[in-house]
Order: sequence, then C-alpha cells, then structure tokens
Amino acid sequence: MAHYIGVDTGGTFTDLVIIDDSGQVHFDKAFSTPRDPAEGVLAALDACSGLLGQSARQILASTSRFSHGTTVGTNALIQRRGAKVGLIMTRGFEDTTIITRGPVGKNLGIPPSQAMDFIHNERPEPIVPKTRIRGVTERIAVDGAIVAPLNEREVEQALRELGQQGVESIAVCLLWSFRNPIHERRIAEIARDVVPNLPLSLSSEVSPLLGEFERATTTIINAYIGPVIVRYINNLQSGLEKLGLSRPLQLMQCSGGLTLPQHVRKEAVSLVNSGPVGGLVASKQLGASLGYDNVITTDMGGTSFDVGVIHRGEFEYEQAPFVDKGLPVQVPAVKVVTVGAGGGSIAWSDGRRLMVGPQSAGSDPGPACYGLGGTEPTVTDALVVLGLLDPNYFFGGRKVLDRSRSEEAIAEKVAKPLGLETRAAAAGIYEIVTAKMSDLIRKVTVESGYDPREFALLAYGGAGPAHAALYAGSLGAKEVIVPHTASVFSALGCALSDITYTYARSQPTLLEPDEAVLATFNEVFRELETLALEDMQSSGFKTDEVMLLRHLDLRYEGQMNELTVPWERQELTADGIQLIRRLFENLYETKFGQGTSRSESPMELITFRLHALKVTDKPNLKAEAESGPDPSQARKGSREIFLPEMGAMQAAIFEGEALLPGNVVVGPAIIERRDTTIVVPGGFQARMDGYRNIRISKD
Amino acid sequence: MSSVVGESVQLDPVTFEVIKHRLWQINDEQGVTIRTISTSPIVVDGNDMNVGIFTRDGDLVVAGPYVLTHVTTMDAVIKNVIKHASDIEDGDIFLVNDPYLGALHQNDVAVVSPFYHQGELILWLGNVLHHADLAGIDEGSFCINARSVFQEAPRYFLKLAQRGKVSGEVERTFVMNSRLPDMVALDLRAQLGAINVAKRRMEALIQERGAPTVLAVMDQSLDFAEQQLRERLADIPDGSWSSEVFMDGDRVGSDRIYKVAIRLDKRGEELLFDYSGTDQQAEGAVNCTDSACYAGTVTPIYTFLCGGEIDWNASMRRCVRVHAPEGTVMNARYPAPVSICSIGFSWMAAVAAMRVLAQMFSGSDKYRDRVCPSWSVSCNANNIFGLNHKGKNVGALLSDHRATGAAARSFADGFDHTGMIFSHMSFMSDVESQEWKLPLLYVFRRQLVDSGGPGKYRGGLTAMSALTPYRSERLIWKSQNTAGADESNAAGIHGGFPGAGSQVSVIRQSRIWEKLGQASVPASYDDFAGAVEHLPSKSEGTLTRGDVLVFYPPGGGGYGDPLDRDPEQVRADVLAGAVSAQLAERMYGVVLGDGRQVDAAATQRHREALRRERASGSARPSADVSSEGSDSAHILGEYLEAVGRNGSTVVRCRRCGCTISEHGGEADRSGAATRLSPLAEAGPWLALRWHGHSPNFELFQSACPNCGVLFDVEERRKTAVGA
Repeated sequence: MAHYIGVDTGGTFTDLVIIDDSGQVHFDKAFSTPRDPAEGVLAALDACSGLLGQSARQILASTSRFSHGTTVGTNALIQRRGAKVGLIMTRGFEDTTIITRGPVGKNLGIPPSQAMDFIHNERPEPIVPKTRIRGVTERIAVDGAIVAPLNEREVEQALRELGQQGVESIAVCLLWSFRNPIHERRIAEIARDVVPNLPLSLSSEVSPLLGEFERATTTIINAYIGPVIVRYINNLQSGLEKLGLSRPLQLMQCSGGLTLPQHVRKEAVSLVNSGPVGGLVASKQLGASLGYDNVITTDMGGTSFDVGVIHRGEFEYEQAPFVDKGLPVQVPAVKVVTVGAGGGSIAWSDGRRLMVGPQSAGSDPGPACYGLGGTEPTVTDALVVLGLLDPNYFFGGRKVLDRSRSEEAIAEKVAKPLGLETRAAAAGIYEIVTAKMSDLIRKVTVESGYDPREFALLAYGGAGPAHAALYAGSLGAKEVIVPHTASVFSALGCALSDITYTYARSQPTLLEPDEAVLATFNEVFRELETLALEDMQSSGFKTDEVMLLRHLDLRYEGQMNELTVPWERQELTADGIQLIRRLFENLYETKFGQGTSRSESPMELITFRLHALKVTDKPNLKAEAESGPDPSQARKGSREIFLPEMGAMQAAIFEGEALLPGNVVVGPAIIERRDTTIVVPGGFQARMDGYRNIRISKD
Repeated sequence: MSSVVGESVQLDPVTFEVIKHRLWQINDEQGVTIRTISTSPIVVDGNDMNVGIFTRDGDLVVAGPYVLTHVTTMDAVIKNVIKHASDIEDGDIFLVNDPYLGALHQNDVAVVSPFYHQGELILWLGNVLHHADLAGIDEGSFCINARSVFQEAPRYFLKLAQRGKVSGEVERTFVMNSRLPDMVALDLRAQLGAINVAKRRMEALIQERGAPTVLAVMDQSLDFAEQQLRERLADIPDGSWSSEVFMDGDRVGSDRIYKVAIRLDKRGEELLFDYSGTDQQAEGAVNCTDSACYAGTVTPIYTFLCGGEIDWNASMRRCVRVHAPEGTVMNARYPAPVSICSIGFSWMAAVAAMRVLAQMFSGSDKYRDRVCPSWSVSCNANNIFGLNHKGKNVGALLSDHRATGAAARSFADGFDHTGMIFSHMSFMSDVESQEWKLPLLYVFRRQLVDSGGPGKYRGGLTAMSALTPYRSERLIWKSQNTAGADESNAAGIHGGFPGAGSQVSVIRQSRIWEKLGQASVPASYDDFAGAVEHLPSKSEGTLTRGDVLVFYPPGGGGYGDPLDRDPEQVRADVLAGAVSAQLAERMYGVVLGDGRQVDAAATQRHREALRRERASGSARPSADVSSEGSDSAHILGEYLEAVGRNGSTVVRCRRCGCTISEHGGEADRSGAATRLSPLAEAGPWLALRWHGHSPNFELFQSACPNCGVLFDVEERRKTAVGA
C-alpha cells in the first residue's frame, strides 16, 4: 500500500489530501497555525489519516511522496519578518534598490485608483535599509569585460562591518554579473573567510538575468526569506521523520513544479507566491482527465479572485511577476492574475453609483452577517440576502450567518443612498462583482489572443461556485466544472505535481546567421543542461529520467519586453535562425494582431531558459459508476432566490454530498456542499460525473 | 436610419458600473499592446504614451494611466480631424503630430480612429506615443537649435489607413523621415495594433450591451465626473492666488529668462487660470500651444484633487478654464517653433499650476492634505545618439529624469524618486538596459544627498547619474532640460526651502578609464580629473573617450520651517545619507554629538539663535503681539492666518499672534522680517553654474518678526541693478 500526500498551508486552513493506491482521494483540513505552521500540517495529517481509519504514523510509513505548498516565505516577505539582510553592490550603484526605478515598487501591484492618488500613496519600506548596503569598487561592462577590478580590501571591510551590524544573511548583486560572475564569486570566497556562518545569495546564481533592479530585488528576497524557509523545512522534515516518513519533503514552487529541500537552500525565492499555483496544477490534471486541454481556472476566496489559464495543456508563465506591493522578482511563475473581488469585498455607494471593492472586510471583522462587528455590506452579505447562501448551512453549518445584519448593512449603506429596494441592491452587488470577474477572465484570455469560448472553466475556492455559472455564461465558456476536491484543490495539485528545476540566463545576442551566434546559443544551453543534470543527480534522479524543455525570450532589437517561445530542437544550426523568427512572429501576431510584426526588423535573443522535469509517479484517480439522472435523494427542499435580470423564483435545494454520479440537477437550483455553495441559474443544468465533479452547462 | 447617439437610455447604477469597468479595461489593453511592441525605452519603461476613448465629438471619456498631457491634448487632435479631414469613413486611421492641430509636440504622434456602428460614427479610439526621432535639425527631434517650426520634424496630418487598409506609402514616408527608422516603424505598428485591439473589444462590448447603453455610460461618465469635481471645488474657500515660475534658456546659446505669471481665481465650483503677464513667445522651440497649455495646467488638478476618485476626462473642461494670451510662451503664434513644448512651457504650465493650487489647498481645512507645490518640476531630458560597436546608428531619450523628487506634504515628507507628475507609471530604465541599448557606460547613479528642500517635512530626493561612451568613438548628446540650471522651481511652501535644481554637466578628459582601471569609482564631480562645465539648460555636444556627462533632475521643496523638524528625523536622514551633517546643523539647527546622537541642549540653543537672527530682519522696532478680538479668522497656511479686525483684514502669526500686516489684505506680508540670500543657502545643488550665487535669482525669506518662525521662502528674480 503506497500513499501520496499533498498538503497546502493557507491563511485560514491547512488542507491535506491522501491518495491511496486505488486512486481514491481522501481529504480534510485543520486550522493553520501561523506561529508554527508545522503544527497545522501535523494536525491535518492526523485528521485525514483518521478518515482512512489509520494513524498518521501508519500512513507515513507507507507514504511514497509527501508534497507541500507553503506560504512561510510569502508571509515572511509580506509581514517583513525575514532575516536581517546585508547587501553588497557595485560602487556607484548602491542606491539601486532605494531609488528603485522611480515609482516602480510603489505603483504596481495595487489597484490603479490607489496609484492615481498621487499625494497619499506611500512607498513601502525597503527590505534592506540604506545603512546595511555597501558599495564595493568593481565594474563589469555590457560585454562582460572587467573595466574596474574588484577591490578586495573593500569587500573584506564591507563584510566585516555588516557582520558587526548583526546581519543574518548576505545578498550580492553586481552590475552585469550574469555576463561575468567572476567578481561575485570572488566575494563569495572572501565571505567564507570573513563571515563564514552567514548564508549568501549571489545574483549571478539566484537570478542571472538582465536588469539590475529586478535582479537585486530577487536576490534580496532570496536572502531575506531563505533562512526562514530553511528553518521551517528542517523543522517539518524532522517532525515527519520522527513519525516515520522516509522520503524527503517535496516543495511547491511558483513555477508549478516541486523542488527538494537541498535545492530550496539555493533558491528559496522560488517558493514565494506558490500558493495559488497548486490549484492550477490540479486543474491541468483534471482538465486532461476530462478531455480538456484548454482550461480557465478561477479561485475565489474571501479577499481575492485569481484567474489562471491552461492553453493546449500548458501553463502560461510570467517571467518577472510582482510580489508583495509591486516588487518585481525574476522567477518564472505560472501566471495567475488577481483582482480584489472576494466574498469579503465591500460594496459602497456615494449616493449615485454602486461600487464593489477594492476594500475588503477580510475574515476579521468579515461580512456583516458574520456578526463579528463588521457593518459594511460585502458580497457574501449580498448572497445571503438573495437567498443564494443558506445562513444556517454556511460551510456545512460550521458558521451560522445573521441574515438580518446582511439586510441592514445593504439597506443602510447601499440601498437607501441609491433609493433601491434592499434585494435589488443586493442583486446589483452580485452583478457587479460577477462582471468584474468576467472582465478579468476576458483580460487574461483575450490579452493572450485566446477565445474564452474554447475553454472549460474550473471554479474552486469557497466563494467562486456561487458566481461561476453567470460569469462563465457571459463569456460563453464550454462548461463550468466545480471539482469534487474544490476545497483542497491546491493540496491536490501538490500531490499531482512533478519535480521541476528551472534555469535561466540572460545573454543578450543579436540574432543573425553568424557562427558566433550559433556557438553562443549552443554553449549557453549546454551549460544550463549540465547544471540541471547535476542538480537532478544530486537529488537522486537518473539523468535518463529527466526531461529538458528549452525556451527563448525574444524580441525585436530595441524592444524592452520579450516574448517567450518554446524551442524544441537541441542544437541550433544556421537554418534554425529563420525558424526562431517564424515562431516569434507567429506568437507576436497572435497576441497583438495581424500586421504588427515586421520581418525587416532585426531580432535579439535576451534570455535562455531551461526547465528540467522529473515526472513523478502519479496515482490514477478512480471514476465511479454513474447511476441515473434523478437527484431526488439529495433534495432538501426549496427556497426563494433572487437573481439579477431574472428576479425572484423558487429554487430547489440539494445536498451536494448526497448527490450521486450521473445525477442531473436542473436550474434554478442550489447545490449546497460543506465546502461551497453552487448556484445553478435557470437555463443551466448541473451533472455530477464519475469523479463527483459538478459540471454546469446551458440546457 | 435613426441615430443611436443621444438615444435616451435609462441607466441603472449597476449597468453603469459594469460597463465603465469594461471601458477602462478595453482602453488598458491598448496600453498593454503598445508597451509590449514598442522599442523605445522612454515608451516602455517610461510609459511616454497614452491611450483614450473619446465621444463622437472628440471629448475624452476614458484616459489611460500613462502621460496625462497626451490624452488631454488628443481631444483637440480629434476635433481637428473632424474639422479638416476630407472624409471620414469606417476603418480609417489618422496620424497627426502637428502641435498646431493639437499634438503636444511633433514627437508625440497621435493615431486616432473613428468607430462605427451600423454605419454611424459613434465614438473615437486613439493613442499617442513619443517617437524617438522624426527628423528636424536636432537628433531626437526636440529641436534645441530651431528658430522656426520649419526646422523641426515634419508636421503630419495623414490618413494612415483607409477603410481598414493601411497605406504602405504613408507608412513608409513617415518611417523613412526618421533617423531611427527601425524603431519608429515598430512603434507605429504598436499604435496600429493598439487601435485594432481596442476596436475588436469595443465591438464585442457593443454587441453584448447595445450601442445606446454604452454611449449613455460614456455620456454619464462625463456628467458624473463633472458633478464630483464641482462638489469638491465648492468645498474649497474662494480666493485668488498668484505666482511666478521661470525658465532659464530657450535654446542652445540662450541664457534668456522667461517668466510665467499665473493667477488662479476660484469662484464657487469653477477655476480660472490666467497667464496674463507671461513673457512673449520665445525664439527657441520651448513654446507652448494653447491646447498644450491647457493640458499642462490641469494636470495637477487630476493628480492632486481628482486622484483615484474622480475620473480623468473632459469634464474638467466644464469647470476649469485657462486663459493664455496669444503670442506668449504659453500660447505661441504659428510658425513659432514648438518641438520642445511637451517638456518646455507645457511642463511649466503644470509647475505654475502646482504653485497656486498649493496655496488654494492651504486655505482649505478639508483639502489641506493635498498641498504639494512642486513635483518633477523639470524634465532633465537627455537624448543620446551615436554609432554602436557594429557601426549602427542608435539613439534614445534617457529616462533618468524619473528619479526626480516631489515637494513635502502638509503631513509628511515628500516622495523621493517619484516619477513625473504627468503619470504614476513613469518609470526609469535599468542601467543595464540602457547600456545594452546604447554604447555607453554609467559611472554611477546615486541618490543625491541634500537634494530635498529643507523643511519641517523634507522635500523628496533626486538622483544623479554619470555616463561615458563605451565601445563608441563619439556620442552626441542633446539636452533639453526644462529649467533649473539657474533657479530651481522646486518650490517649498510655508517656510520650506526649494530642493535641488536640474543640471547637466560635462567633464572633459576626466581620466575615467584610468581611474576605473585602478579600482577607483568617482562619486561626484570632484572625483574626476578634468574641468567640469556646468551647462545651461539647453545644451548639445559630443562625448569622446574619457568625457563624462553628469546630470540630475530636480528635488522637491520642503514644507514648513526646517527648525520645526523633529531632531530625531533629521538624525535619521543623516544616517541614511539623505541629509549631510553640515546641512543638518545649518538648515535644521540640529547638532549631532559623539556617535551621531542628537545633542538636545546644543540643538535647542542653536535653533533659538537662528530664530532670533531671523526676527532681527524686521524693519519695525518692536513687534506687535496682541490677541485683540477678531471677527473671524481663517488659516492661510501652516503659520499664518487672516483675521477680520475693525472691518479690515489683518494677517498674523498663528504661533505667537504677532501682526504681520494690517492694511494690504490677505496677500500682504509687509511687516515680515525678511532676508535675501544666495540660492546656495537652500542647498548645494542650485545654480551650479555660479556656485550657487545666481546673478538672476536670490532667496527671499520671510519670518515672523517676533517669534522668528519662517513662513515663506521664495526664489525671487533679482531686480535690475540700482532698482
């Protein structure tokens, strides 16, 4: 008997899935324990093991993979509780992260309305204050030439001073170090003598990419959260080992792949914002098993709505996503776009308009109906007033909601100022937030040149399925799928993920049919491959189990943004140059429309990327036999609901857990599950498939 | 067929909000397209472009978050297309860069297209992008040598696409006139791509919601923003405020100083800006057209008063009027050269408007938090051109000027490195990106100590950069620094001092390569060998091996009397390298002892002495401090209030009650203790050409004759000798 375990630590819950040999998925959750997240993991493990009638010890003894998505790094960054970092930079450019790039770091990653408030939008505190930054004399130029040698005495002195200041971690970022890392490496050698116990992050290793501000930021974040993450992982690993786990932990990265603890020490920054990515991995697997290779993923929680895209079975990547309050990090991440529209988003009016967000009541005080002191009407309050949520069956009755507080908040803050009926105001809130969701989905798909009508839409996260049919309907998506495991979807993704190490190096090169270009191209990829295979071997994998995927970041000469194109050949030969251009221009026209490419313009290759993939063993999920369409055994009754444009109607209420594969629910209806509430509007029907997913489509 | 325009549609607040959000997003997508396709650092990193959605008459409804003056001027472009085009058909795309037809300057090319629904023109889509070079006598097309519009880049008024088909001939003509055809060609494709994207999205929206509803939302967006703006203005006390700002030098070889006189009258729900008294139009290309003057003037109203709460659109025109007499630098007469307008007098319009708006907000209890008299007051714009190591002609406008500072606020310090007032998306390029694109090497880019104007709240800091040719024999620079090589314009308020000016300097035979080779990196002018030449605001020249160009954009001014600043904050600034120990003592009166701790006793003594010294500048033998009954009082600023006494207005010190003036109304400060000093007193980065002792400007400080609190510092033009 072998078990696969996936666990995901979120803000409120730690979710855990155990998949057994037969492909059966068991899942449960425990409250997260922010002070020591390992406690929550162990508690969830206990709870879920119990579902299988076993102890955690028994389960772990037969566990072949234990995969984990953690927010320890993200939280340390957001709450500014990372290590005390000392930073060494090229003299003359010490202020790079203080100057930022003008208002970068201040105006990105926040709603535009906030950034447009010129006077009040404050700049966040830098992670490394100026007093812990040292410049050292050295300079490498664009071509990698050393134009000023490294002053080693300054390096020693800088390290000594930083040591005396009590720094716990050192980051080094020199100009053009990705073209020529010699000075950074020398600093590392000196540091081993001067401050032997301090962890070191070199920009040429963490992020060998063009752009000193982004590279420095990435390196600093790595130095900042690395010690925190390593401490956590060691702690959790030893806790699990004591209980009998014999395999190393596997950790979820923002790239959508798993990594191993020894690799995390080098590249902790890759764990930042890995939170939402697990859900995309699970979506990809689920989509594939249902015959969809085009999937839009939507995850709505208390404060935000996250959208991801899987196109032709592949993720979309962002090469330099923003983290925290607009800090760019050069770690390729599965693209997940967020908007502040969640169950806690606050609705408000100035007497003429009805607006939803961007403020959120979060979970504390939360929506008015929580009765925790919140007086602002939220999206959740609107759902209660519309009859879409049963106040007595929120999270399976684990929380009782106060409908009168919802009504009062909406009446006072929205309906009265606008002269609307309370229910009409609630319908307006529901409609606006749903429209914002479909706008975001439209943005994410059409901006990449995709047509949402060719996609299936997955809805998970506690709050999403109440809206999904409507936003999917307005986009014309093929169908909406609410997964059986919706409430633990990220944890499931961890369990289904592959080991992935990513490598990238900028080596800006004008793309011409020139021997030197071919040589550079092949040499850079060879170097990255060697690194990748070494790392895989040292992680205990055989090189013939490893799959290598190559990508190129390309642009027309002079452009500042690149497009990433997959490169499927190994060696580049002279005829390949034309192929690269073709691949690039095809993608370019898909994104920006016909007639935007220009074949006369010279092209440049900026960054080489390599993903090394070790496909993990995966359980085969088991489909159950389907019974007939009649869902009456699950019917709980009916109640009045109110929907925008449709008005009041009676909706049948079903207990989700009592539905059987093959059952069909015809709208208007509500399917109540312990983890979420699914709205099936009139004109739609919902069918439970053999995996117990709810599939909603138009009649 | 009946028209859908103006069709009466009953809009509910939900539909309004849903469609408005969608319009914003459609427009945003135009912007994303441009930024991805463009090859120009100033466009992509600096976001020197913008996108908009307009009514069928050309009124701006939805503005992108990029350079504001671009969309504000596009109104006029579209109106001129409507007026002058021989015909307008579905699928047409027009290209206009004529400043006399609304473009901000020739580089800022507007690409606009009518949008048709069932054969009827119902709205316009458009975008503007700063092209790196479109010819003219100077590289980069900011023609610092031009004396007429005919020496500048050609002014185009073209139909780029007819009924959906792009004219290859028109495109080619436009592209081939540039010194950088590859760059311009792709940037034009970016603009076309953006229009196409926006059209497709708009078609989908109209199909979904119907044209009448979408148009009604557009109309009501304007009405609604107008209503919000009027309400906000009604909350602010009426009054009139005046100021003067200056430009030093209008072209290469000119040191002439131009005055912009501005007066703001606020009555009820409306504002009137009047530039009467402004100097006659210039010989050089810094002149402003009428539409660019309007665009510059209203910029700080959008950023400071509207913020994120009131839509930035043409409703502004319904409440805010601007009068600029024809023939002045603010409203030049054809064929005056105007190719530097965007960063010339259009920029100065925003600088002037910020001054008077700060005074207006100072008198408002509700909006005092919006006081900000300076923010990126000069565009330290440097174009670099040359042959790279492969012999290819390359060039670009650097974006380092986005490291500029903003004035301190009434409740906190000013923002360091804040980007331009014209866009919150005005970012600066990485040094590595610039070095990859252009054959040069940066020697440093560092935060400039003491560049923020001293005050109770300190002005924002700027940064200084230095660069030298690398793998190129010879680079050309063309520098069109708005102003600030003499007076800084980086005004503070209520006793706050001005911040750093804006300077470009060249160092010949600096021995930079020898120094670097010996592992020594210069940090400022003095660390180079060779003579430093501090250049006038418009300059050009060639850099050969070993020459270094050094430049910094302006800082921000301070708020309030620097002696009121918390000594611990001054100390923190010193430790962080924002303020030097020397300036801390001289301007802030803060004495740091051993271990750089604040010496509290010495600080108090020093501050008292400085206040006494200020008060001694009074013309009057003894100060009148009476708290005699007053009918009414209102706050004029941090330290002054106006009180009605016996039917006339008395200005007095809020701190000690001392009367400053009794008979001249609210603007009278005749009883103040005053002092004149060189600009250098404000800090080390003003008027470097004269070591801080400008022959044209001096600091005029006004303090309370009794308690010595400093309530005003002004960069004042020196009166003629003997006057």
